Amino acid sequence: MMQEGRDWDRLVVRRKDTTGNERVIGHTQIRKGGIAKVTGAAQYGADMDLPGQLYAAVARSPYPHARILNIDTREAAALPGVRAVITGEDCPTLFGSFIADQPIVARGKVRYQGEPVAAVAADTQEIAREAAELIRVEYEQLPVVNDLETSMKNEVLVHEDWSQYDCSSACFPVQGTNIGDQYHLKKGDVEAGFAQADEIVESDFTCGMLQHTTIETHTATAQADPISGEIHVWVPAQSPFSNRGLIAKTFHVPLEKVRLTVTEIGGGFGGKYEAKCEPIAVALSLKAKGRPVKLTYGRHEEFAATVCRSPVHIHMKTGVKRDGTLTAQKVDIQWDAGAYVTTNPRVDYNAGFAANGPYKIPNAQVDAYVYMTNKTLGTAYRGFGVTEVATAHERQMDLIAERLGMDPLELRLKNVLQNGDVGITGEIMQTMAVKECLEAAAANIGWKDLPDRWVDEAGNLCGKGIACFNKLTGTPSTTSVLVKMNENGSLYIMSASTEMGQGVTTTLPQIAAETLGMDLEKISVAPVDTAITPYDKTTTSSRSTFHSGNAVLEACKDIKGQLCRLAAIKFGVAPEDVIYTADGYLQSRSQPEQRIHINDVGASGILHEQPPVVAVGRYGTSDIFDPPPVEGRQSKRPTVMWMHGAQAAIVAVDPKTGRVHVKKVGAAHDVGKAINPTGCLQQIEGSIIMGLGHALMEEMIYEDGKLRNGNMVDYKVPTFMDSDVEMKITLVEQAHPEGPYGVKGIGEPGLAPTAAAIVNAVCHACDADFTSIPIKPEHILFRKERGHASEI
Amino acid sequence: MQQITIHVTVNDEAYTRTVPVNMTLLQFLREELHLTGTKEGCDEGECGACTVLVDGHPMNSCLVLAAELDGRRVLTVEGLAQDGRLHPLQEAFLEVGAVQCGYCTPGMLLSGIALLDLYPHPTREQIRKEMEGNICRCTGYARIADAIQLAAERINGKA
Amino acid sequence: MLPKFELYMPDTLEEACRLKAAGAEVMAGGTDVFVNMHGGKDRSGQVVDIKNIPALQGHTFDEAQGLDLGALTTHREIELWDVIKQRYRAMFEGCSRVGSVQIRTRGTLGGNICNGAPSADSIGPMLVHDARVVAAGPAGEREIPLHAFYLGLKKLDLGPDELLTRIRIPAPPAHAGSFYIKYTRRDAMDLALLGVSAYVELAGGTLKTVRIALTTAAPIPIRAFETERALTGRPATEETFLAAGKAVLQESHPRSSWRSSAEFRLALLEELTAQALRQAVAVAKEA
Repeated sequence: MMQEGRDWDRLVVRRKDTTGNERVIGHTQIRKGGIAKVTGAAQYGADMDLPGQLYAAVARSPYPHARILNIDTREAAALPGVRAVITGEDCPTLFGSFIADQPIVARGKVRYQGEPVAAVAADTQEIAREAAELIRVEYEQLPVVNDLETSMKNEVLVHEDWSQYDCSSACFPVQGTNIGDQYHLKKGDVEAGFAQADEIVESDFTCGMLQHTTIETHTATAQADPISGEIHVWVPAQSPFSNRGLIAKTFHVPLEKVRLTVTEIGGGFGGKYEAKCEPIAVALSLKAKGRPVKLTYGRHEEFAATVCRSPVHIHMKTGVKRDGTLTAQKVDIQWDAGAYVTTNPRVDYNAGFAANGPYKIPNAQVDAYVYMTNKTLGTAYRGFGVTEVATAHERQMDLIAERLGMDPLELRLKNVLQNGDVGITGEIMQTMAVKECLEAAAANIGWKDLPDRWVDEAGNLCGKGIACFNKLTGTPSTTSVLVKMNENGSLYIMSASTEMGQGVTTTLPQIAAETLGMDLEKISVAPVDTAITPYDKTTTSSRSTFHSGNAVLEACKDIKGQLCRLAAIKFGVAPEDVIYTADGYLQSRSQPEQRIHINDVGASGILHEQPPVVAVGRYGTSDIFDPPPVEGRQSKRPTVMWMHGAQAAIVAVDPKTGRVHVKKVGAAHDVGKAINPTGCLQQIEGSIIMGLGHALMEEMIYEDGKLRNGNMVDYKVPTFMDSDVEMKITLVEQAHPEGPYGVKGIGEPGLAPTAAAIVNAVCHACDADFTSIPIKPEHILFRKERGHASEI
Repeated sequence: MQQITIHVTVNDEAYTRTVPVNMTLLQFLREELHLTGTKEGCDEGECGACTVLVDGHPMNSCLVLAAELDGRRVLTVEGLAQDGRLHPLQEAFLEVGAVQCGYCTPGMLLSGIALLDLYPHPTREQIRKEMEGNICRCTGYARIADAIQLAAERINGKA
Repeated sequence: MLPKFELYMPDTLEEACRLKAAGAEVMAGGTDVFVNMHGGKDRSGQVVDIKNIPALQGHTFDEAQGLDLGALTTHREIELWDVIKQRYRAMFEGCSRVGSVQIRTRGTLGGNICNGAPSADSIGPMLVHDARVVAAGPAGEREIPLHAFYLGLKKLDLGPDELLTRIRIPAPPAHAGSFYIKYTRRDAMDLALLGVSAYVELAGGTLKTVRIALTTAAPIPIRAFETERALTGRPATEETFLAAGKAVLQESHPRSSWRSSAEFRLALLEELTAQALRQAVAVAKEA
C-alpha cells in the first residue's frame, strides 16, 4: 500500500453508500506491472524485434484531394534490400467498422494529405524510407474540402457514392452529399417548450481539431503467411478483438486465423482504438512471403495521417422560465470529420445523448451530422464527443444564468437530474450524484466566497467557472475473463481489457483479491493475446473496471466453488459441507477446525493431482439494454452506466498579453466506488492538464487541406511548466447497482468538464463571450467586453 | 556508408562498436545494444522521451550521434537499478503513482536524476523548470513532481 | 532517422574551414542541424563536427575584457553561470528559455547566432549587450558587431571558408541592467512568438544608454535604433517606457501567419517593449 496523508493525496472521498470496510479495494495500491515501466523492461510496440523482421515505410500523398493517375514503383522495388512494395492494387478490400469506406492504401484517389499511396518493406528502416521516396505518383489535383462550410455545400464530394460501400446498420450516410452519418434525438416537442419559455437563449460554440498526442506513436508488427492465411500482429491496440475482426474481414481469412498480441501501450485516449498500421503491415508481410514486417509511424506521420478529434460546431437554443426552469433545448451539431467515416458514428451517437447535459429538460431535440472533409481522420478521443458537447452546453448554461441574473451554480443545481427524474431519452434516472459533484467541485475552489470576476494585485483579470456533464458507456457490450489458479495457489486473470496507463491490470486483481480474501500480490493479469485471452469488446468508453470487473466477480465465485470441492476431498467431508468464508477460508461446517486460507491453498496440497482450478466469468449488457430507435432515440435504458461529475476553475488572465493562468481546479467525480483511489486521481489529474491544453493551447491548423503544425512544438501539448495548477479532487461514491462493488467508469469523465470550466472562468474573468476553443491570447486581447463591473 | 569505431561506456559497461556515422545515440542504444528502455517519441528533440545522460548531462538521444560518444559515459533507464534494487527515484515514481502508460517514464527518470544532482532539495518551481523538456500526456505532471520530492528526501534527507 | 552523410571531426580551425568551404554542414550541438535533417529539410552530404576545435572552446569573464565566449559555449553553461545572472540578465533570460534543458545542454551560442532564426532567444540579448563576433578563416580573424552580422534572412556576414569562433561582450558598467521577455503560447519548449530585449545604463534618473532588440518582429533579429535614439537622455519613467512601446512599432515588420496575426504581434510588441525596459531599469537599479 502507498503512503497516505502526503501532499499528493489531493483527495477527499465522499462515501455516499459504500461501506468503506473493504480490505483491498478502496485503498490505493501500487500499479501492477509498474516495475517493468521504471526499469525500461516493458515491451512497447516499437520494441518488437523478430527474427527475419523487415521494416516498413509509407509513401504518402502530398495533396489533400487528388486523383491518382499513375503510380510507378519500379525504382523503389529495384533498390537492393527492398522485399515488398504494395499499392492500392494489392489491397482491393476497403475497411471501416461502421462503413467500409477506407482503403488500406489509396485506390483511385486520395482524400487527405498524408494518405498512404504505397508502402515498402525492406531489410532496414533506412532502405525502406529511401525506397518510399522513390515511389513516383502522378496526381490530378481536385478542389479541396477544407472545412465544414465547404463540405455542407456538397459541391465537391469527398466520397462520390456512399452506396458502393458495405455499411452497418449503425451508420447513416446521405447519398450525394458529404454527410457520412447523422443522429437525431427527439423528446417531447421543442417548439411547444420554447413557447412556454420566458427567455430564449441561443449560442454557438466551436471546438478545434485536436490530437491524442500519445508519446508512443502508432506501430504494428505483422507476420502474415500467404499460404496458410495465418496472421499474427503485435500491436499496442486498445481493442484487440475489434481489430482482429477487421483484419480477418479485410484480408478474407477466418477470424480464428488472425491473432493479435497486445504489447505495452504508450498511451491511448481513443487514438489506438482503430487499426492504423496493422493492415498495411499485414499487406506487406503477405507480399514479402510471410516475413514479419514492423511499421512504426514517425511523429510527423502521426500528426498528418493517423487520427484526431474532429472539430465541431454546435448551436444551442434553450427555452427557460424566469425562475430558471428549462422548458426546451435544441442542439444542432456539425462534425468536421475528415476524409473517412471511421468511428465517427459512435462519436456522433454518444455525443448526441450527452448534448443536453445532465439536466431535466422536458422537450429536447438533437440533430447531428458528420461532414466529410479532406483532412486527417476524426475518431474516438477520451469521451467520444462528450467533452465537446459539454463545453457547448455548459457555456450555454452560463449564458442562461447571466440572462436571468442567476448564479451559474444555482441554475445548474436547480435543473440537475436526480434519482427518479426523467432523463433525455425518457429513462427514469438512477444512481445520480451530479448535484453532489457540483457542490463538491464548487466547494473545492471556494465558489461561494468568490465573485464572478475580480482583479488581483498584479492586475490580472480573475474569474471562476463551473461545469458538469453526463456520459453514457457504450451499450450493449460483452466481456469475458478466465481466472486460472497456478500450482502454487496464485491466480492469473486473463482479460482483454488492455492496460494503457489507466490501471485496469491493478483494479481487476483488486476486485479478485477482495472477493476471495486473497493477497493482492498473488494475483496478476496475464498479457493479452486474442488466441488465448477470452473475448472483450473494447477498451474504451470507461467500461473496463465495470464490465471486466463483473466478469472477474463471476469467475471468482466459481473459483470458490471449485476450491471448496477440492478442500472437501482433503477434509474428508461432503462437498456441500465446505464453505468459503468472507475472510477467505475454505472451512468445514461440521469440523470448523478444518480450514485452509486462500493464501495457503498452494501449500495445502489440495491442488495436487486434482483437476486444475480454472473459471470463466462473463458479463454482457444486452439484456438490460433498451435499444434507442433511430427515430428520436427514446429508450428506457440506453446505457448500463451513466457517468457524471463536475469541475470548477479559477483563472487569472493578463489583460495586456492575453495569457491565461489556470490557478486552481476543483473536481468532483462520481466513481461509484474508488477501487484504487490513486488510480482515480491519476485519471482526473491527467485529464485536468489535458483539458487545460484543449481549452487554451492545442489545435491542429489546416489551410486548404494542408496541416501547418504537425510537430510537437507547434502543436502545443501542455509541458511541465504549464502544469502549475492547484488541484483538489473529490471522489463521490454513489454505488452503481450493476457495477462490481458499485463501481462506475472514470477513464474519460475527468476530461469532460475541464475545458468547459476553464472557458466559463475565462469568460467571466474577461467579461467576454468566447465562442471557440482553444481560447487564444489574441482572442483575449481583442475581446469585446460586455460592461459588467469587476470587483477589485 | 562511412563507419566509425567508438569506445563508449553505457550503464557502467564498456562497449566497442563500429557504427555508421549517421546513427543517432537513440538508434545505437535501441538497435545496436538492444537497450530498448530508451523510447523514441518525436525524433526531433521535442518530447524528451529519449532523454539519457551523457557524462551526467541530460540530452535528447535522438539529436546526438553515436559517433560523438567516443570516450563518453552514457546512463540509460536500464542502468538505474543497482544490485537488484530500484533507484530511490524509480521507487518513488511507483509509490506516488507517477507512472501511467509509462512511455515517457524512462526519459522522465533520467531528467529527474540530473535534476537531483543539481538541486538536492528541489522546489516545485525548480522541478517544473528542469523537467520542462519531458512531455507526459497521462499524469498531468503533479505526481512526477511529488515523486521527485519524495526521492530527494530519501536520498538527501529533509531540506 | 538521419539521412546519409560523411562526418568529419577535425581538431583544427583550418581543416574545419576547408571542409565548410567545400560544402559541409557545420554541426556543434546538432539541435538545429539534426532537427532539420530528421524533418527531411536538410540533406547535406557532409557534416563537420566542430566541437574538437580549441579556438571555439572555453568561456571567461573579466572586468576589463568582459565576456569572451567560445562559439561552442552552450545555453546551459550561460544559464548556470553566476556572472551571467548578475551582469547580463537578458542573456540569462534568453538562454534559459531556449528549448528545454536537454536542448540547452547541447545547443550552442555560435549555433544560435549562425542559424539566425528570427525567433532565436540568445541573439536579442546579445545584441543589446553590444556583442561582437569573431569570424576566422584562412585570411585570419575579423571582429564584427553582432548587429552588422545579419545581412538578411538567413544571410550572414560570414564567408564560406569562415567559422564564427568567439563572441565578445563588454562588461556592463555600474548602473547598467538588461532584460529579455520571451512571449510564447506555452511556457516551455516553444518558439518566441515575440521577444523584446532591453539594455539600459542609468545616470541618476535618466537613460544614459538604451538598446532594444526585437525577436520575431522581422525576418532577422533587429535592433530598434530609432527608438533607442529617441529614448536616450529621457527620464527612466513609466511615461518613457510606454512611449518606447509605441516607438518600436515604427521599426518592426511582423507578418501575419497561422501562428498569429501581425496585429496581435504589434499589440504585444508595444506592451512587451515597455515591460522589458521597465524590468531592465529595475535590474539596473538593483545593480
